[in-house]
This record gives sequence, structure tokens and C-alpha cells, in this order.
Amino acid sequence: MISRSVLSRGSQLALRRQNCAKLAQRGFAAAASENASYEPTNIAGVKVASRDDNGPTTRLAVVVKAGTRYEPLPGLAVGLEEFAFKNTQRRSALRIIRESELLGGQLNAYHTREALVLQANFLREDLPYFTELLAEVLSQTRYTTHEFHEEIESVIHQKQAKIGNADIALDAAHSVAFHTGLGNSLYPTPNTPISSYLNENSVAAYAEAVYNKANIAVIADGASQSGLSKWIEPFFKAVPASSSSQLNSAASKYYGGEQRIAKAGANAMVIAFPGSSLGASKAETAVLVGLLGGESNIKWSPGFSLLSKAAAAAPGAHVHATNYAYSDAGLMTIQITGPAAAIRKAAEESVKAIKSVVDGSVSKEDLTKAIAKAKFNLLSASEVSGTGLVHAGANLISGGNPLQVAETVKALESVTADKLKAAAKALLEGKASVAAVGDLHVLPFAEDIGLRV
Amino acid sequence: MPALSLAPYVVKKPWLMSMLKPLANWYANAAGYRQLGLRADDLISEEDETVLLALKRLPASERYDRIFRIRRATQLSIQHKLLPKNEWTKTEDDVPYLAPLIEQLEAEQKERDALEALSVMKNH
Repeated sequence: MISRSVLSRGSQLALRRQNCAKLAQRGFAAAASENASYEPTNIAGVKVASRDDNGPTTRLAVVVKAGTRYEPLPGLAVGLEEFAFKNTQRRSALRIIRESELLGGQLNAYHTREALVLQANFLREDLPYFTELLAEVLSQTRYTTHEFHEEIESVIHQKQAKIGNADIALDAAHSVAFHTGLGNSLYPTPNTPISSYLNENSVAAYAEAVYNKANIAVIADGASQSGLSKWIEPFFKAVPASSSSQLNSAASKYYGGEQRIAKAGANAMVIAFPGSSLGASKAETAVLVGLLGGESNIKWSPGFSLLSKAAAAAPGAHVHATNYAYSDAGLMTIQITGPAAAIRKAAEESVKAIKSVVDGSVSKEDLTKAIAKAKFNLLSASEVSGTGLVHAGANLISGGNPLQVAETVKALESVTADKLKAAAKALLEGKASVAAVGDLHVLPFAEDIGLRV
Repeated sequence: MPALSLAPYVVKKPWLMSMLKPLANWYANAAGYRQLGLRADDLISEEDETVLLALKRLPASERYDRIFRIRRATQLSIQHKLLPKNEWTKTEDDVPYLAPLIEQLEAEQKERDALEALSVMKNH
């Protein structure tokens, strides 16, 4: 005879398992539907955007409107980035690192042209500790002289040594396209005279101007709303509400032009056009980038995209199209690297590829593929926590709302062949921004490949 | 390891401080370095990693002045001379400029050692 206790135990277990299964199911379903976009809120004067997939880890980032675009003197954004997680009034840099290592967290600071991002990745239950840390970095960093000389300068020199010709070409394209603001170089090259501008005092003054509640957004991926509202309020109290010093935030204007830099080493060329900005995300540009593509998704095949076919005609060249979206402007670029002769050929073929879009020789099937590719780019970027985080933050600090995935996908689907043709035509009729770095004897001028600058 | 000192205790008590200050001043003047134009912190031995790092952290002007004082004192010592009395180091000029940096470096090292010897206790 089976004892009663055994029976009840088994049923209990089964019941428990069922509950578990239900819980897991709910988690997955929620992640797929509602929580794909960041939800903006305002906690105690701080702009916060969060989404929660109920995972075991959290990514918490403070996105500050302090990228290279806003720096009053060259190199300050870089200096501020390096001063993140250094000595504060309350604890030393060493203690910050050791404590977060003990908690299994990762600290990271990086900047884009518009935003400076201080990010912490950690286990879900450590939210209070890292919220406090990020607020402390904003309001209590000491900007000491000895840290600047002993640690920061050498790190900047090491990072400068890693700047490649492709980065220089992209910087040069931004520079001729936007002159100041967005045209500032993303990382000062070793030839840039920054030593007279960059010191601990100028960095501290820049920090005072940018680290305030009006200028930051806190982005959380994988943290509960209740936890955020509980911890952000007390810890971010010390961050000032606004600053007396004004940031240089003139609206971006597109100029266009050509820059050629003779340089030994690898060759690089960037062909850029006005692209789509963050707020008014022009769906045609996204589809055009998908159509131009460049990187094949399939092994051993150039794929359908126009640029990968162009690269196939010029062996050795690597071509890809990207749209760099900023708050009030965008830059659609075609970046080419490889041997100089191959770059020349690939650049000619790339311009021919855009002309073929204007001629309307793009098949319906290719358009469908391009829309699918654009959709994939959008969705995977918003899903990958790093990119999604920065985009959501950049939108918030510039006064917009985080990307609404569902609506943008709908806009992509409504792009027609005619719209695409018009967009490509506008590109070729306007002024391009062309940058060539490397062996200038071989690399072509913009006019040689049929572009107006 | 710094020598044991009653100074922090004395500084805390104003009446004791006012009583001992003249005595301390007399001792410093009797030590003779002020007659060579030096400051007390110029006498700290340089042959030490911590002191070398602290010297690097000095502002450039302080570093220049320190070297000037030491060279002048060396020259006077060779010549068996003292400075004219109006150039002797005044009591109010004889401030610790290097000692705070050394203390800061020692605190940093102590913290590093403590963190290195840390044992983690899990609370579950």
C-alpha cells in the first residue's frame, strides 16, 4: 500500500514543476512582446529609461551629453572618459575596482560623438551598490593632478597608438561634412596638439558643466522599475540639477567636401552623404543602407547586396555601408579599406551601384531583401544591449523618446522602389563628403569617381 | 614605519599646544637647518621609493624651489658659512610641503595591502 505522505510529496513536486514551467514561459513571452523597447520615466528629476527581461544580470548606464561634439576644447571628452571610476571624495580608484570585482561587476566608460557613457554590468541583486557608484562618479570625482599624470596620460597615448587609417578617414569625412561639433575628431590623433587644452583642471571644469541632471539619462537593461525608483532617488541627490556653464550645442549643418591625407600603412577611403538622424529616422536611408550592405551574411558568397558585388569586382577591398545617426543630423557612409588599387576600383563600383539604384534597376526581390536586412539591423541593434543602451540614452538626452521598435519596423515595410530611387537621387545630386587616407598617388579624387563635392 | 609621536595628541589640546610651541620653535632653530635656508621637509631622505614618487607629485614650482634651497645649503656647507640672518627660513615659511604627499602615498599602500590580504566571507 502506498503511504499517504509519498503520494502527497509527489504531487507537491509535480505542482512545483508546473509552476516553474509557467514562470519560465511568462518570462520569455514578455521579453518578446512588451519589453523590447525602453520605457522612459522620470525619477526625482533624472531621466530614466528601463526595460526588464527578468534575466539574472543588469546593465546600468549613465549616458551624458558630453561626447566630442559638445567639448569646448579638443580632448576633454576623452579626458573625462578616462577620469571615470578614479579617486572620489569617498573612496579610492583601487577600492572601486576591487569592490566591483568582488561583486562580479564590470565597469566601463566610453564615448561616442554625442554621448559619454559610464556603464556597469552586474548581477541583478547588486543594483543599489552600482547605482551609488555611478552617482558618486558623477558628483564626487576628485580629478587629481597625480592621477592625470601617472595614469590618464599614458592610457590616452596607448589608445592614440591604436588609431588606424580607417578611423582617420571616418574622422576626416565627419570633419568635412560637419566642420565643427559633429566634425570634431572622435579620438585625438597623436598629431593633434591637445596638451595645451587637456589637463585635470579643464577636465574638472568640463565635468562641472556636463554632469548635471538636465544633461544625463540613466538607462537600465534588466533592472526592475521598483528597484530603480527606490535607489536612484537617494543616490542621485548629490548630482546638481543644472549647471551655470553653457555647452556648445549649435545645430549641425551639412557642408560636404573632400579631404586627402597622405599616410603610410593601410589605405582607407570613406564616401559619405547626409544620412538620417536619430529622431526623424528616414526609413528610405535605412533600406538604402540595407541594399548597399557590404557584409555578406552567407559564407562563401558575396550575398545580394550591391556593395559586396562591387567588392567582388575589386579583390582585396572590403566595403560596407553604415548610417551614423546623431540627434540632429546623420551621415550615411560607404567605408572602403584594402590595397590602394582595389580601393580605387571599389570606389568607382560603389558610386555605380548608387547610380544603378537611381536608374531603377533594383529588382523587387532585392528590395524585399533590403527591407528584411534593414529590419534585422534595427532589431538586432536594439536587442544587443550595448548598442541599444547608447541609442536609448542618446535619444533621451537630446530630448526625444527611445526608439519605438514596432513603429519603426512598420515604417521600414512601407518603403517603395520609388521612394528609394528618390532618396538615392538626392544623395548623388547633393554634395558628398569624401576622405582618402593612404597612398594618394593611387586613391582617386571624388570627381574621378563621379561625385560632386 | 614612522617613529612614535605625541604631536597629534598635542595638536588636539590648545593649551598644551600653546605651552609647547615656543619649545618646539627653539628646538627647530637650534637644529641649524633654518640658518642654511632649508625647510624641515627638505631633510627627508630621498633614497626611498615612496619619497621619490611623492617628489614626482610635487608641483613644478615647488620642486624647483626645493632644489634651489638644497643647492644653496650644500654650497654654504662647503664654505662653512651661514646665510645672512634676514635670509634664514622664517617659522611661518617652514611648512610641511612633502610630508602630506608621503602620508597620502603611505595610506594608498596600506589600503592596497589591506585589499590584497582581504578574505571574503559569504553571507549565505
